[in-house]
Amino acid sequence: MQQSPRQSLWMHLIGLAAVVALGTQPVCAHHSFAMYDNGKQITIEGVVKELQWTNPHVWIQVLVPNATGGQDEWSVECTSVNFMVRRGFSKTTIKAGDQISVSLTPLKDGSHGGAFKGVNSLNGAPLKLESED
Amino acid sequence: MGVLKPLAFAALASAGLLAVSGAQAAPVLSSTYADPSQPDISGLWVVTGAMQYAPDRSVPKLLGQYKDLYDKRTKAFKAGIAIDDDTADCLPAGLPHLFIVPYPFEILQTPGRLTFLYEYDSAVRRVPLGVTPPAQPEPDTATFNGDSYGHWEGDTLVIETINIRGDTQLDFTGIPHSDALRITERLHRKDAKTLEDQITLTDPKAYAEPFKTTRLYRTRPKWKISEYVCEENNRNKTDAQGHTRSGVK
Repeated sequence: MQQSPRQSLWMHLIGLAAVVALGTQPVCAHHSFAMYDNGKQITIEGVVKELQWTNPHVWIQVLVPNATGGQDEWSVECTSVNFMVRRGFSKTTIKAGDQISVSLTPLKDGSHGGAFKGVNSLNGAPLKLESED
Repeated sequence: MGVLKPLAFAALASAGLLAVSGAQAAPVLSSTYADPSQPDISGLWVVTGAMQYAPDRSVPKLLGQYKDLYDKRTKAFKAGIAIDDDTADCLPAGLPHLFIVPYPFEILQTPGRLTFLYEYDSAVRRVPLGVTPPAQPEPDTATFNGDSYGHWEGDTLVIETINIRGDTQLDFTGIPHSDALRITERLHRKDAKTLEDQITLTDPKAYAEPFKTTRLYRTRPKWKISEYVCEENNRNKTDAQGHTRSGVK
């Protein structure tokens, strides 16, 4: 079983209120999202190890403190560069070393990854994004 | 929760637009419209509605091995296993899957032909006008997007597409088709902001009867088509069992 991400009901609720959602389904023509537990949403908090600003998907690698005093590397699968740009992201919006709180739909198999749902906070501040229109 | 935000954005956008323009504007001829003898369906369009092939999520009446294949894929999907077609390995979606990918495409109208430029995969579809399609598909020459033939019936562009490879899917849920597939599209501009495509899939090998659906596309005036190179960093390649990898490090 995986280590639980650092989360609480309050964090979850605040996260959901502040979350900048990218829609109800991943914008993903590239592969299906059967691997994700689509009925579930969790929040992880940690330090950005790397942003992979690439297609077919943008990836945020986040180091999240775990229950045993170490840290786990989470892989957060975003949509494509094309759709991140349409919401106002650029390759420097999220950088290595940033403190981040991210909402995601976790993988069903319990490994440390999920589909990006939104950024709750970046270095303690909300992330303001643009409308897709 | 995530549902509310985009809706709120959409409402604001519409409110802003209404305040400026009042009533529905007449169709605006786009810069990609270069043939006054044709109705104008040019410009940038994006599909609306569900990511399943049919907006109501209905499925063709599948026959024999095609039904078995879909049942297998559906069972795997429910178990959390993604059994994708070659798109997970960055090969093209092909037609008719390309009709529903949530990326924009641009229609160019020039004398004697239309050209569809898709952002997804940077795919291109060429549609000559007034050329009679072959009566039967020629599977030996089948391709991902097949061969398309167009003609106008009033304000409706009718496109017949055949010679489509049999190993692609209609959508991410894995609905199959065979290489006998013939696609008939009836495209027309419903209003200034909406393009309608009435699509009929006829596939005597895989479907018990023709499968009809209607997809709507809307304009996105501020969008532009960008680059999409799937091979750049594909962490979701399939494994030896054909299951899409999660991409976790």
